[in-house]
Amino acid sequence: MQEENISRQQSLAIIESMINKAKNQFSENGFAYLLWGWVILFCSVSQYVLQYVMHQPKHYLVWMLTWVAAIVQVIDATKRKKRKAVKTYTDEIIGYVWMTFVVMLLLCGILVGKVLEPGQFYVANIIILVLYGMPTLLSGVILKFRPLVTGGICCWILAVLASFVAPQFIILLIAAAVVAAWIIPGYLLRSRYRRENLAIQPQ
Amino acid sequence: MLRVLAAIIQSQCLVVFKELDPILHSQLRLAVISLLISVKEADFTFIKEKTNATAGNLSVQVNKLKEAGYIDVTKQFRDNYPLTVCKITPAGIIAFDQYVKNLQTYFRQ
Repeated sequence: MQEENISRQQSLAIIESMINKAKNQFSENGFAYLLWGWVILFCSVSQYVLQYVMHQPKHYLVWMLTWVAAIVQVIDATKRKKRKAVKTYTDEIIGYVWMTFVVMLLLCGILVGKVLEPGQFYVANIIILVLYGMPTLLSGVILKFRPLVTGGICCWILAVLASFVAPQFIILLIAAAVVAAWIIPGYLLRSRYRRENLAIQPQ
Repeated sequence: MLRVLAAIIQSQCLVVFKELDPILHSQLRLAVISLLISVKEADFTFIKEKTNATAGNLSVQVNKLKEAGYIDVTKQFRDNYPLTVCKITPAGIIAFDQYVKNLQTYFRQ
């Protein structure tokens, strides 16, 4: 671009073009959704098998895998932050939404663990299903990405369904929820990211 | 008579032209500010890539916007490489808003 006099029509065209270029800066590649989706799916199905099929007393230890996932995500987020040439308001808002979710999840985990009797821990899984819906739906709305919105609604439908099924099957509803809310949208996000970032290569 | 009419039109055009901020009424500076209004912050290479400008020209225009107080420019280091991060200031947002309003007024006439 050169330093020169421009007409008002050109001014308008420049503003429109630049805003569109910034708007198409799609930075969500679906990695976190896929990572957590597959980890939670594996943990929930494994816990069901260990607890109700193999009758292992320490079935819950499988959830230690989430700590590994958290480390992987921190490493990935640090790398992406270094590579990132632009910070958008969308990224910032989505970051806060997920931070709120993590705080709510931790607080609910601590409070529910204190309040519930050992035989009632399945209630925590229903609360988790309700909580999964919030950041998923909000991310979908912010990113204008319908599969995440649908995934968030699926979590809430499964939470309602959980009150009608036997407590041992609720863990399998969590597995179903992460497939609908994170794994399927995660793959779709990844393909959208690849498609849009290929389309806005510098001319 | 025609000369008088031409002078009136010219003076009207000048009045409208004066309303547009000369700092923003430049192809590259307007492109930079339009890009920065849409994001929280962006580094120099990102702006260069999106505006298709040369590094030298962009550097000059970024400095002009900085001197006008419309953008903040921070020099950092990332992996031992220098990094220039630009961010629009509240004064830049007001100036851009006014520029767009003036354009709208012109197109409504």
